[in-house]
Parts: sequence; C-alpha cells; structure tokens
Amino acid sequence: MSLARFLVKRALQGVLVVWGVVTVVFGLRFISPGDPANVLLPPDVDPQVRQQVIAELGLNKPLHVQYFEFVAGIPVGDLGLSLVTRTPVTGRVLSKVPATLELAIAATVVAVVIAIPLGVVSATRRHEPADYGATLFSLLGISTPNFWLGVMLIIVLAVQLDLFPTSQRPIGLDGVFGLLVAGQVGNAVDGLLAWAWHITLPAVTLGTYFTALITRLTRSGMLDELGKTYVRAARAKGLPETLTRYRHALRNTLIPVITVVGLQLGTLIGGAVITEAVFAWPGLGTLIINSINARDWPVLQGSLIIVAVGFVLVNILVDTLYAYVNPQVAFD
Amino acid sequence: MTADDRLDRRAFLKLTGGAATTAALAGCSGTGGSEGEGGGSTEASTDSGGESTEMSTETSESGGSESTGDFPVTIVQGNMPSGLDPHDHRETPTDVVMLHAYEGVLTRTADGTITEALATGYERVDGENTVTFTIREDVPFHNGDTLTPDDVAYSINRIVQEDVGFASPQRDQLAGVTGAEATDETTVTVQNDGLNPIVFSEFATYCDVMQQSWVEERSKAEVGQQMNGTGPFQLESYTEDEEVVFTPFENYWGDAVEVTELTFRAASEAGTRVNQLLQGEADVIVNVPPQEVQRVNDNSGTRIAAAPSTRIIYNAMRYDVEPFSSQQFRQAMNYAVDLNSIVENVLGGFGSPTGQPTLESFVGHNPDVEPYPYDPDEAERLVEESGHAGVEIELNTPVGRYLKDLEIAQAVAGFIDELPNVSATVRQRDFGSLVDELLTGNIEDKPPWYLIGWGEATFDGGLVMTALLTSDGALSSWSNEEFDSLLADAGDQSGDTREATLQEANALAHDQAPWVFLNRQYSVYGVSERVAWEPRSDERIDASAMTPQ
Repeated sequence: MSLARFLVKRALQGVLVVWGVVTVVFGLRFISPGDPANVLLPPDVDPQVRQQVIAELGLNKPLHVQYFEFVAGIPVGDLGLSLVTRTPVTGRVLSKVPATLELAIAATVVAVVIAIPLGVVSATRRHEPADYGATLFSLLGISTPNFWLGVMLIIVLAVQLDLFPTSQRPIGLDGVFGLLVAGQVGNAVDGLLAWAWHITLPAVTLGTYFTALITRLTRSGMLDELGKTYVRAARAKGLPETLTRYRHALRNTLIPVITVVGLQLGTLIGGAVITEAVFAWPGLGTLIINSINARDWPVLQGSLIIVAVGFVLVNILVDTLYAYVNPQVAFD
Repeated sequence: MTADDRLDRRAFLKLTGGAATTAALAGCSGTGGSEGEGGGSTEASTDSGGESTEMSTETSESGGSESTGDFPVTIVQGNMPSGLDPHDHRETPTDVVMLHAYEGVLTRTADGTITEALATGYERVDGENTVTFTIREDVPFHNGDTLTPDDVAYSINRIVQEDVGFASPQRDQLAGVTGAEATDETTVTVQNDGLNPIVFSEFATYCDVMQQSWVEERSKAEVGQQMNGTGPFQLESYTEDEEVVFTPFENYWGDAVEVTELTFRAASEAGTRVNQLLQGEADVIVNVPPQEVQRVNDNSGTRIAAAPSTRIIYNAMRYDVEPFSSQQFRQAMNYAVDLNSIVENVLGGFGSPTGQPTLESFVGHNPDVEPYPYDPDEAERLVEESGHAGVEIELNTPVGRYLKDLEIAQAVAGFIDELPNVSATVRQRDFGSLVDELLTGNIEDKPPWYLIGWGEATFDGGLVMTALLTSDGALSSWSNEEFDSLLADAGDQSGDTREATLQEANALAHDQAPWVFLNRQYSVYGVSERVAWEPRSDERIDASAMTPQ
C-alpha cells in the first residue's frame, strides 16, 4: 500500500474514532446523574425561571436533535456554547491547548533527559550498585501516585524551601514568542525564565512515571542489543567499546523508545488532569475538572474531542514514521 | 540492505527530532490564532493585556514587603466567575467578584443590617403595593457617565421582566417585584404584586445597578466580558478561567479604598489554595478545611479567620413514611445526636448547634428555643413509645458539597446506631442526583432521610421556612397545616407582628422536629498577616474593607 493510501485510510479511521468519542461522551451525558440546570441554578429557583433558563440553554430539545446539532457543528469548528459562561466552547478549549501541550512536552523533556542516560548506565553496569539504584528509582517512580508526588513537591520545595512557586502560569511560550517577535529580547528572556520556573514542578510531577517507564525500556532494549551478533562482531573487529555502545547499540535501542515517547505524549495530554488541578495550571485538565464540577457538558465534550484528535494525530504520525523507517512493517 | 537500513534509521531519528520541533512550534504559534478565532477581538486583546499585567504583578509580589502606598491583594476562591454580567449568574463566587464593581440601591453592613448604597432613602407608599427609592446624585459610572434613576429602573426590569433583557436566573431573588420606573429626577418607584414584606431585604442583597445605554450598546456576550458599574473598583483585565484584575476607581462616590490592585483567581483543590496562601501567592483564600487549619495557623505569615455563614445544615425526614411519620420518633432522633460533640470534634469548632430552622440574627429567630439536648435514654424511650423499635434507617448524604458533610452524616448515623432499638447507616450520594430527586416536586421521589444544606443571604427566616418546610416549598418534605397558615399570615404582615408570627413558626418546627437539627456552617478563610480584614456572615469578601497591617 502506498503512503498516500495509508494516510487516507488512517485519516478515515481517525474520523471514526473521534465520532465514537463524541457519541460516547454524548451518551454519558444522559446517563450521568445531575441535571445541568440543577447545578447552575440553586434549588429555590422559581420553576418558571428554571424552565426559561433550560429553554435558553437548549436543554429541552429532544436528545437526537441535540446530538445532531452538536455533530453537525464539529466539521466547521463549532462546538456549541458553554452552559456556564455562554461563550463559544471552541475558542475556550483551544486557548487552553498551549498550556497543556507545554506541560506534556516539558514532562517528556524531563523524562527523556533523565531516563535515557539512566537506562544506559543501568544496562552497561548490570548488577552493579548503579543498576540497583536506577531500578529502585524506576520502581518508586512507577508506583508513586501523581497527585501525592505533586503535593509533596509543593510542600517541600515550594512552601518549606521557597525554591519554586506553587501554582500559576504567568506567561506561556506563545507569550515569550510574542515578546521576541515584538523585539523585546530582554523581556522575552525574563519571560522564558519565569515560564521555566513555574513549569518545573508540574513537569517533574507529570514526567516521573514516564521517566521510570523509559528508564526500564532503555535498560532492557540496551541489554537486548548488547547481546546481539552485530555487537559481538563489532567488538571482535576491535571497535572501541564506547563506539559500539553509543553509536550502534544505543541507536538501535532508541527506535522503540522514541515510538513509546511519541505514543506517551498523547497519554500525557490526557493524563495532565490531576497534575493541572494540583498546580492550578490553566490547561485542558483544569478546564475538564471544572466543567465536570459544573456539569458544563459542551465544554467537557469539546475538551475531550480535542484530546481525542490530538491522540489520533500523534498515533498516525508515529505509525507512519515507524512504517517508513522499518520495511518489515508495511503500510497496512 | 544493511546500508539501507542504517540510512533509514538515521533518517527516522532526524525526522522524529524534526517532528517534535514542528509540533512545539505549531503549539506556540497556534495559540494566538486560535484565541483570536474563538473569543473575538475583545478576548484576544484582554488576553495579551492580562499577560503583561500578570508579569508586572509577579515582580511586585515577589518583591515581598511593599513600598508605601502599594497594597495589591489576591483572593483565591474555588471557582472563577461564570461571566461578568451581574444579572446572569446565581453563585456566590461570581457575586464576590461582582460586588467590587457593581452596587445596588441598598446594601448590608458586616453584621447584616440594611443600609443605603446608591439610594439615599427608601420607603413604602402607604395604601399601595409600591416602594420608592431616592437615588443618590452625582454618582459616576466607570465610563464617566452619571447614574440616573432610569438606569436603576432599567436594572430592576432587566431582572424581573424577560422582554427587557433575557430570562435572568435572578428573577425570583426579587420575588414579588413586578417592575420599576423613574418617577422624577431622583426617584424610582418599584411595583410589587402584594405587600411584599421582604422587599428591602431583597434589594439589600440583590439587584446590581447597570447603565442602560452601556448595556444596550453591547451584545450579551460583551456584557459578560466587560464591566461598567459604580463600585469602588474598575475592571483592569479579564482572562476567562484564569483571572480577573481590578484597579481602584478614582472617582468613586464613597470612601477611597486602600487596595491598589485586586486580583481574583481560582483553585478547586483546597490543598492548592492553602499552599498558595502559605507561599504568599494568595492573600485571602476561601473554605479552608478543618484539617488544614493547623498548618495555616502555625505558619508565621498567615492566620485563620472564620465567621458564622448563612448556611444551615440539617437532616430532613419525610413526614409521610414510617418511621418518620411519628413525631416521637423524629424527636427521638434529635435527642440521640450529640450535636456539641459533632461541632467540636468533626467541625473543629467551626460551627454552632441549631434547634430551629431560622438562624440567629435572622428575622424570625426565636431566642427561647434551644437545640435538643443529648439524651440517649430519652431517645430510646421515645422510640419505644413511637412503636418503631427495631427499625433500620438509611441517611442519604452528598459528599464534598458542604464542610465535612460526609463526616457529619457518619457521626449522626453513628449516634443513632448506638441506640439499642434503632440501627442507622449512611448512603453516600452524588450531589447532582440527590438534588434531582429533591426537586421533582413529588415527595415520593425523595429519599426518606437525607442531609442537605441551605444558605439564605437575605437574613430572612420567612424565606427559609417557606422553601424548606411549607407544604409546597421548593425543597420541603414536610406538611403541617398550622405551620402553613403561620407562614401564610407572615406573608401579609410586616415589622414586629411578622417577627412574632415567624418566631411562633420556629417554635412549632422545633417541637414537631421535621429535621434532625444540625449545625450552622462557618465560613473559614485563610488570610495573610499583611491584610487586615474581618470575614462576614453573608460570605461577601469585600476588598474595600481591607487595609494593610
């Protein structure tokens, strides 16, 4: 199958997946307890006022009409109006994407920077103290709940030692970029520092599980590669050990690792919910939590659709590259 | 083959790096565009304005001790306002933000007393169902225009008349008010559908005044994104979901404020709010849970400030199902619960016991009615007398809606379960579905025994009892002819006569025991030591009353 056909096929599958997400979320809306009107209005509201508000929000229309209206809006980017603020959902959700993307990418950077060297050391010094240390670190990282780690980091590093702020995102990378374009280089540098200072704790919190995962993956991949014939051949040829390890074995190890990193990026975008709530980070996660509390279904649906689209795109990208690089995996 | 393979892998690695960079760049550059698309020009410009303001705030905050005259205050609530239209919301967090920019004709002092704001006088017109307000002169709006009685009348009509604006969810907060008009250069006359004994009480709590021409020149969405009131603070920037920033309004008609910049933010997690306070990122935070009180008090720069709120917590019992249909049984439930112990041990002292539906300092509170004493022997005796010994009952409670709601419910059920002749359990409920059941209008849909809370910012016991205990009250699961007729009488009375009728109704409710009477909830705030401020019963956080200390 050609690349073009593969892409078309995956794009169509992606559309189906997003449609499925929309339908499931819409279905959940009608089986979940809590009428949005009862959350928006206190119990003592005059029943007539309640009816008027319900009509104004369009909540009195039949289910299938609400569903088709919602689905029909998606291709033109219209995700409806928020029940709480009555503002368009599309703009509101998209404005939260950069914050979450920044967090996911920063967490990935934290993970990759720590995990790959750690995994390599662990594999090359197998059964030595360094390996045991790395293993212990991975175990702790995998078994520590995100929210607990976040709260602990805040209490120790922010409140006790006063090294980092506990919350907020004073400026985004887009803001830094804007300052740079406007020629305010000094402010842009200050902005970048403020950004890095604020994102460190959330990124470490979100990235810890991921770090542990990649450490283990790099370790086992590296051990696999080091035991293969070509490594032994290279050694037999008399190639320096460093060259064998890092130019040959590590490079082969990184292929599956990078695939996992790509796929996990999607998970991180979705999994940032708890971390964002702990750090009051103004991204999709915080928006999702707040819209669940407020039963603001259009905003919740919009956020989940964006997460689903992001997930699908990352998957297609990773699959395409993987198939392209490895002829054993055909485009099918 | 091998050569190809290697080439491919190298190409792959390059590509992956490139893709990551592209994604990062797309993420950055995509922002500006998408914000502009979604929110329109207003939002985009506020956004960038907000960002630069935040940057400068950050610098001034991190400077620690402020130079003379610089007194920024940050307030962190659980939720951001649902928009900036003062007539289109129904929640306390939004109200707290609104009251800094918008004012009503009347207001309340910290102890709940009604006092003048934009009106300089208010009176009933004898023999007619109308009241008049004399409007203060030379009051400027934030845009420089002067307040007129027409603006006041328009604001009232915008709430109570759907054709003037929209279906305002506040219409029944001005219950009984049918419309208003400016009758001369300083007077607004308000029509009521009857005597409306609580009309001034309503206007002291609700009805923010907006400028008619300003509202009419703007779309509904714009009114929800901008502000133009007469209050002591004017809007500096608004970033939806993130923050609202105010600066003092220099031409304010009243006393000048000391706060130089006022910022509202939100964090839904109580722990996050407490950490923000301890770290100095917030100056006032709402709803500090009892288990965090110690941390706030132990920290050198922060303290706890608590005040009785207007919210009452109770366990309603359905009068139409056994065993709750028996008055003896309902009284027994009250005797079985050690309320003082719950207030002390569950709420950490942040609550006070109640014995009637109307709270202290409310109109109609009966000072002669005491909470039920803890008397398990009497409870056991009354259960025997009611003929329901050996019954099993289940308490439905929401979780996380009120201060320590689940823990209170568990304590109540625990005390009752200790009676040898009753066994009680707790059933945790989602608040939304519990309220759905309470609001259907059919008593059969309600659980027989449930915990719920009720806040009443008007300080009027008549409104509380009508909604919660009359036969057709919005949230009632009780029916008693004598009680209904007392409340009906109070609707046609005013002053001391009405007060006496309501006191009688409270005494009747105590004896009939339609509820297990529980606690008055306290509002518990965390406050920075650099801010002098006392909390209020009506949950208003008024920054114009804050001074440096």
